[in-house]
Amino acid sequence: MRFLMTLAYWEGAILFGGLFCVVLWKLLTGAISLSYLLDGDFRDPDSPTGFSTTASPGRTQALMVTLLVAGYYLLQVIHNPKELPPLSLWLVGVLGGSHALYLTEKVQTLSSGR
Amino acid sequence: MKNPEFVLSTILAVGTAFVIAIWVHGDALTKVKLAIAYAGLVMLFLFGFLILAGIASGKIDISQLLEEKGSDGTNGGASMGRFQLLIFTFVIGLSFFYVVLCKCDMPQIPTNVLALLGVSATTYGVGKGIQATTQNKDNGGAGGGPAGGGAGGGI
Repeated sequence: MRFLMTLAYWEGAILFGGLFCVVLWKLLTGAISLSYLLDGDFRDPDSPTGFSTTASPGRTQALMVTLLVAGYYLLQVIHNPKELPPLSLWLVGVLGGSHALYLTEKVQTLSSGR
Repeated sequence: MKNPEFVLSTILAVGTAFVIAIWVHGDALTKVKLAIAYAGLVMLFLFGFLILAGIASGKIDISQLLEEKGSDGTNGGASMGRFQLLIFTFVIGLSFFYVVLCKCDMPQIPTNVLALLGVSATTYGVGKGIQATTQNKDNGGAGGGPAGGGAGGGI
């Protein structure tokens, strides 16, 4: 039974770690494109299609908060790997607020322009 | 045969089960339990490895994992909703796996962590809804959706 557990351990490590590495590698080499990640569309009557693209503050702050929360949680887990650490309510609130801001900006720019 | 590697994996797993059942000492129930466990483990690994190899070699295309299609069918650039969902999925997934390795037990998932994943998935869903609503409105009128209209900017 001990050998079975060791086998499961390595199987999980290889598959999950492998998937993480492959996705990360493809992100770093540009095989998975991150182009226009921080650009948002807005309604533009002067454009032939009715929409134009420009840098979006909502997306930028959403990305920053996302990376911050994700990094903070990973550090918590690394410091105490005996359990999944609880995330403080205010951090979830900050993330929710950030995403709400991003969505509000999206609705506003798509419906009535900048 | 469309996917011989998957059939081969299944045959290999069944073969492993037979070998374990024959060679392992113990009563019949122990033999059956171990045979099923080893066969499941082998099959899971081979299936997972085939998918992983397919992704790595490009046979399974994930190049548009973060992209949203525009209304005219062209790519509309990377999506923030998809990107943050990917980040949180990996962070929580890796954390869970790491804790399982260190503790050798299934950990309790705190409510706030589930809320975090909920916020993340809801943002993606609502963003997609906003995009679809705008496109529908415009297709009913003059035409030309946002992502198809601009150079980029997915959800």
